Parts: sequence; structure tokens; C-alpha cells
Amino acid sequence: MSDTKYLFKRDQIWWVKVAVPRPLRDSLGCDLRRSLQTRDLKTAQTARQAVVEEFRSKIRQAREQRAAATACSTSVDPPPGTGYEVVTRKDFSDVTFLLEVSAPMLARAAQPGQFVIVISHQRGERVPLTIADFDRVAGTITLVIQAVGKSTREMQQRCQAGSRLYSVAGPMGFPSHLDTKKVVCVGGGLGVAPIFPQLRAFKQSGAYVIGVVGFRNRQLIFWEDRFRQYCDELIICTDDGSVGIKGRVTLGVEAALEKHPDVDRVVAIGPPIMMKACAETTRPYKVETIVSMNPIVVDGTGMCGGCRVIVGDETKFACVDGPEFDGHKVDFDDLMNRLGRFKQQESQAMDAWKTAAGAK
Amino acid sequence: MGKKTIRSIPQERTSIPTQDPAVRVGNFDEVTLGYREVDALNESERCLVCPNPECVPACPVNIDIPGFITRIAAKDFRGAYDILTDSTLLPAICGRVCPQEDQCEGVCPVGDKLKPVAIGRLERWVGDTAIHEHWDNTPYIEPNGLRVGIIGSGPAGMACAADMAKAGCDVTIYEALHKAGGVLRYGITEFRLPNGVLDAELENLTRLGVRIECNMLAGRLFTVEQMLDELGFDAVFIGTGAGYPSFMGIGGESLNGVLSANELLTRCNLMGATEFPKYDTPLGLGKRVAVIGSGNTAMDALRVSLRAGAEQVYCIYRRTREESPAREEEIEHAEEEGIQFEWLTLPVEILDDGENNVRAMRCVRMELGEPDDSGRRRPIPIEGSDFEFAIDTVVYAIGTNANPIIGQTSKIELNKWGYIQTDEHFATSMAGVYAGGDIVTGAATVILAMGTGREAARSMKAYLGIRDSETVYQAPQTGSDSKLFGIGLEERTFTRVRLG
Ligand SMILES: Cc1cc2nc3c(=O)[nH]c(=O)nc-3n(C[C@H](O)[C@H](O)[C@H](O)COP(=O)(O)OP(=O)(O)OC[C@H]3O[C@@H](n4cnc5c(N)ncnc54)[C@H](O)[C@@H]3O)c2cc1C
Ligand code: FES
Repeated sequence: MSDTKYLFKRDQIWWVKVAVPRPLRDSLGCDLRRSLQTRDLKTAQTARQAVVEEFRSKIRQAREQRAAATACSTSVDPPPGTGYEVVTRKDFSDVTFLLEVSAPMLARAAQPGQFVIVISHQRGERVPLTIADFDRVAGTITLVIQAVGKSTREMQQRCQAGSRLYSVAGPMGFPSHLDTKKVVCVGGGLGVAPIFPQLRAFKQSGAYVIGVVGFRNRQLIFWEDRFRQYCDELIICTDDGSVGIKGRVTLGVEAALEKHPDVDRVVAIGPPIMMKACAETTRPYKVETIVSMNPIVVDGTGMCGGCRVIVGDETKFACVDGPEFDGHKVDFDDLMNRLGRFKQQESQAMDAWKTAAGAK
Repeated sequence: MGKKTIRSIPQERTSIPTQDPAVRVGNFDEVTLGYREVDALNESERCLVCPNPECVPACPVNIDIPGFITRIAAKDFRGAYDILTDSTLLPAICGRVCPQEDQCEGVCPVGDKLKPVAIGRLERWVGDTAIHEHWDNTPYIEPNGLRVGIIGSGPAGMACAADMAKAGCDVTIYEALHKAGGVLRYGITEFRLPNGVLDAELENLTRLGVRIECNMLAGRLFTVEQMLDELGFDAVFIGTGAGYPSFMGIGGESLNGVLSANELLTRCNLMGATEFPKYDTPLGLGKRVAVIGSGNTAMDALRVSLRAGAEQVYCIYRRTREESPAREEEIEHAEEEGIQFEWLTLPVEILDDGENNVRAMRCVRMELGEPDDSGRRRPIPIEGSDFEFAIDTVVYAIGTNANPIIGQTSKIELNKWGYIQTDEHFATSMAGVYAGGDIVTGAATVILAMGTGREAARSMKAYLGIRDSETVYQAPQTGSDSKLFGIGLEERTFTRVRLG
């Protein structure tokens, strides 16, 4: 067989052809070709090398240009036609906002107590967010987000109705158990929204539901009507006493337990310090207390162990073994300590982001 | 051409250029640069083309090794690629990451006197050439209307998907992460397996018509039962891997600065943490890193740590280099790069600095005693040999367990360790559901995962009533010189026929 690599014949004349890698075809076409202006194969074979080299260096150049272009391109939006659309955006305060995201399969599968992992753009990190609500008919899930770190602040800025999130995966974790007769559902801080679907599910399963929700002040209250709709009793606590009980949600929990000695479960979602306080409040009453752990996660599929928490004397992975655990057994100090693991990097990211935003 | 003998072949194994250790610790570029054409031709001359090759059965997917090497020697590179792709979906990947010294190269008779034929390097060279030249062996596919769902996009899932797609099925892969490839993507590092190579091999799948859907957490988003009943799949393959990392249960494991190798690697490989803060995911690696364990995962973690800015990186292993499960080449590369190995050392406690960060690790020295069940000599602590070891990051690479989600959400039978129970044809306890890869075998290798994926595809085809081209065309007429449509009958299958 004669060696005709890179060669082909057209009208008796030998040509050189080198295929262009797929990603470069927009700029260079499918292949690079040139006539060697000879009918003789031997001559063509000798002339070939130089042309092939030239074409290769052309391809190399194009590849480098392309790499440079992608490196400094600032757009990190999901590629067209992909991603998850934000259909509604609502702001509850200057740090708390709600996103309703179109994700029909997720909406169909979601159960109270589960969470999703969101990546807002192509260079983003994987952020775990509890599913605050879902609409199986409309095919949407609701996320309520507190803009505290760089990623969530950036989401607050980027995610308007019509924008798209790069990735939303889930639902992760075990759904909540709903086998209870009388339950106290406690939500504080960023836990107010996620407690809602559970509270509703408890009500729908026939339990007597007492809601306890905490806010800083009257202005920051949201979803009161929704809670009232599904609560047999609703206790609102505010830090400044502008509505309901003045003080922390634990006061509300205590009041509920005093009034109803037959409460068989307390479910608390919120910052670790609040869940810890709730667990301590209920301990003397010996009421089963369920808390939802929110450690740092990476994959959410049980593959990294970044989300490990200490429950009793066992180490559990919150993303696949939880996220709900027995609040009387959880080591909250360990959780709080591990949540501070990237404190320094978080402020570094925030600074870098602010500088970049300032530069724009 | 006279018959080749051990004396007549090139005596030296053709060396492969690598990046200078001093340079490569500062970048994530590939360490082993690969053969050039002349190198491949030279090395291919070293194969004796044994009449009863031992390397073929030693390969988990039985690649016709002398066959492809002969084609290289004959400069029929495309032919070599065709032979490879008869057995393996991922030559450019397997050529890079297979433990050849325990498989094909381990039994190569050339190795009795000289260094064995560099089968892996040749395989890689052919795979790379194919990517560079855009060869693809997409056969003509006649759709059969059957739908196959695959859970997990690692090598097991990819292999099963490819075989089922070639058989005419409509195949969808569901992957929980936002990028496909499994361990090949999030685990094995860029400098060993560049993402571009993986992308190219994944593109071959797409060309077969396989759809890959990321961000899909099977089990929770839909159960395996629902895939069969509601989503309309005729058969399902589970290849979710074994990523659940183990810890030792010693004191101090929840201190900040203690993490699993999978977490470290996922942050770097999948999330771009080495380019933090340009990428949002932080890494938070210290200056003095200790990696516990000495498998491939440990080697990757060690070498990534070095590249991510650690100054001193230690490998802590309770046995010796001989018992180390990592590939020889990986250990050599790690040594060249300045990783410090503490053999015969067992950590007993991780110590804090008073602010919940790692300050040091307390270890004991070990000695080897009598062989244990695995045939390796059992390490025994030497009394009074405790010492403290100043470090600020501890990475666990001591093994992984089954990914639990499918087990949690379906009635498929598991074994007592949580792996999916299958028969020898990789059928699970549920009709129409097959499983393969690490979730069945426990953490193993890329090629084994691929092999099990293909084997599962074979039984899946039998279950679906699809006749396999290999069984149909494996012609008894071999040896006859007849040609069918211009195709020699010695070509074992028709998948190799290129149209157009
Ligand atoms: C760091 C490291 C280095 C290694 N080095 C080598 C090497 O050099 N050579 C070698 O031969 N082997 C090596 N291995 C082993 C090899 O990578 C594995 O044996 C192989 O990848 C297993 O393939 P798999 O398809 O079974 O699973 P995986 O590759 O683990 O893929 C499983 C996929 O399934 C996805 N998944 C899990 N659960 C779900 C779910 N519920 N729904 C949807 N998707 C899900 C996961 O996200 C993942 O993408 C290494 C492993 C590691 C971790
Ligand atoms: S987030 Fe990785 S194991 Fe839970």
C-alpha cells in the first residue's frame, strides 16, 4: 500500500488535507487543504511534510487563540439552551430573597425535608439549599436564599426572573418522617422557609401543628398567611418584640410545650446555634427533636465526606444519611466549627468579588 | 520477514518523554508526554507476536494485543485502532491509567529477559492518534425501539451505554454531578488524564446516539422501579461507583484540615478550586500535608497537593512500598516530584492547635509480621515508637465504600457491605436491572469497570432478545479466502465495517 496519509487526488492532481479539530471548525472550517500541483505521487509525498507542518501550526495557533479567548471571557452563563430558568424572584428583605425555578422532574420528586445543590454559573460552587416549596403542576421548586457569602450575594445580583442557573441537582437526602400526632415546627432565620413544606405536610397528614417562627422585626416577616393556613397555632417571635413574643424562638417552643404536654415531636430548622438552643430547650421535656443539618457540602451524593457530622458517637454524611438527625444526639459545636472551615477563603472571595464589581 | 526472537527485537524498551519533575510540580499539564510515531513503530517491533499470547487473557477486556501491535508495525494505524475499539471503548484512557504491570505487561514473555513490551504506551499512542485524526468507529446502527437507562457516567456506565447503543437501543445516561465521566472526571487528575482526552472519548458516545443527562440524581429524582414502570425503560444499568470515603475513627478527625482524598480531588478536578478565587470553590490546603494510604487515590492526592501549593507532602502508609497498591509508575513519579514517603507508619491521633485546626499527627512505627488473609505481611505496631509529626492538613485515602443512594431508594438486593448483589452475568435481583463497576466489585480499576459494563450489556441484550453481532457473525468459515461484500471473514465482527 502506498503511503497517502494526508493526501488525496482531485482531477489527477495531489492535494494535502488535514482535519481540523471539532472545536476549531467555526474559525478554520472542517479541514485545511491545498493543491500540491503535481500528478506524481512521489513528488507529492516529499512536498507533503512542509504543508502538513504549516497546517498544524495554523491549528495550534487557532487553539491557543481560542484558549486565551475563553480564559478571559467574563461570561460564565450557562451555554444557550441549558440550565434552569428562574421564573419568579421575590425579595423579602435586603438579604433574603426567593427564587422559583423551573425544574419539572425535581418538582415532581421533591419531598419535605430534602435539599438541592445549585451552581449559579459555570465557575460557581455547589451550594446546598433546602427546598422551601414545590409546585408539581407548574413544575417549579422554590428556594429561599440568604445572601451571606460571596456565592449567595452574587446569586442575589444575577438571578432575576428569566435568568438561568447553571445546575440544579436533587432532591437530596431522606424526606422527613411524617408519623406524628402533635408537632411543633420551628423555623428561625434562614430556616423559616424550609420548615414550611414540612409543616404543610404534617398538617395534610392529619397532625395537630404548632408553628413557631422567628424574625428580627415586623418588617422582615414573610409568608405569615401561608403559615397561618396550615397551622393550628402559630407563634411568632421577634427580636425586638414588634410582633408576638419578644425574644428567641426557644421561648415560643417552651410556651408550646408547656401548653401541650402531648406534643410528640419538635422539628427545628435554622442556624446551628438556634437548633442547638431548641434541642436544649426540649431535652428536659424528653420530646423527640429533629434538626436539619446544613454542613458544607461538595457533591451531595456521599462521595466526599465533606458534609460529615457527629451524631451520638457515629460519624454520618449529612447529604446521604440525613439531612435530618436527632437533635439530642447531634454535636452542634462540631458542626459550627466545621462550618467555619473556609472563613478565611470566604472573605478572600468576597473581597475579590467586590473589587471586580467595583472595577466594572 | 524472518521470525522475531528475543535476540532480534530492539532490546531497550522505548522510553517515553516526561515533563521534568522540577517543572511539572508547578503545573497541571500531563506528566507523561506520549510516544511519537517513530517511538511507537520502534516499540511495536519488540512484540514477538506469540502464537498463543498470554497477554490477551490477562487483559480484563481481552484486547487482541498482538493484533493491534502488528498493525502498528505495518503502519496500518487505523487498523490498530479498529482492533482496539473492538474490545475497549476508551483506548486513550486505558492506555494511561491501566495497571498494565499487573495485567498484559505482567505476563509478556519479553519481560522474562528484558523489559516487557510497552503495551499501555502503544495503546495510548493509538488512542491519541485517533483523537487527533478524528477517527471514529461509529457503526451503522439500526434502531430497535428499545430504551435503556444507565445510572452513572463512569467507565462502567459508558461501556454499557456504548454496547447497547451499538445494538440499536435508545440509551440515556443519568449523571448526578454536573459533568460526566465519574472518577475519570472528578478523581483522576488532569496531569494523568487530561480532560480533553475524556471529552473526546465521551464525544464518541454521543456520536453513537447516547444522551448524557447531568444533574440527575437517580434514586431520589426517580427510583429504579420508576425508570422501568413510568419512564419507559426496557432495561436499566447501575454504575454508581464506590466513592463513599472511609475514615479511621481516630481522635481529631473532625478538625478543620482533615478531609478525604475524594473531597480534595473533587474540589480541584471538578470544581476548579486550584484557581480559587477565579472559581468560587475554595480548597483551603495547608503547607504541610499528610496523605494517609498508598493507593492510586493517595498518589493523586499527594501530587495534587504539591501542585496546589503545599510545601511538604508526606505519604503515610502502614506497610512498605512493596505492598503499596498504587501503580509502580505513580509511585516513581511521586518520588521524583519530591513526595516524602513514611512507610511502616500508622497514625493514631490527630492533634489540634487549640482552635480546631490540625497541628500535628501522632504516629507509631510498624514492623511486618506473619502474612495475613490477603497474603501480605501484617503490620504490627512497634511498642514505644510513638512520635509527633507536625502537619496542618490530613487527607484520608484509605479506601471507599458503596455509594448508598440506589440501595436506600430501591428494593434491589445488596450484599452485607452495601454493594449491589449480582449473579455472574451482572444481573441484579430485579428483572431487567443490571449493575457493574465499583458498585458491584468494590473499588477496582477503570478497565475492570469497563469490562463489567460490557459483560452486563451482553446479558442485557440476551434479556431484551437482541442478537449480538459477535455471536451471529463469528464465522466458522475462517481460513477460507472468501470475502463477503469485500470484507474478509477473518474480521471477527461487522462493527468494524466502515461505511461512507
Ligand atoms: C483518585 C482515583 C484514582 C484512580 N486511579 C486509577 C488508575 O490509575 N487506574 C485505574 O484503573 N483505576 C483507577 N481508579 C479506580 C477507577 O477510577 C474506578 O475503579 C472506576 O472509575 C470505577 O468506575 P465506575 O463506572 O464503577 O464508577 P465511577 O467512575 O465512580 O462513576 C460513578 C458515577 O455515577 C455517579 N452517580 C453516583 N450515584 C448516582 C446516582 N444516584 N444517580 C446518578 N449518578 C450517580 C457518580 O457521580 C459518578 O459519576 C482510581 C480511582 C480514584 C478515586
Ligand atoms: S457532600 Fe460529599 S459526601 Fe456529602
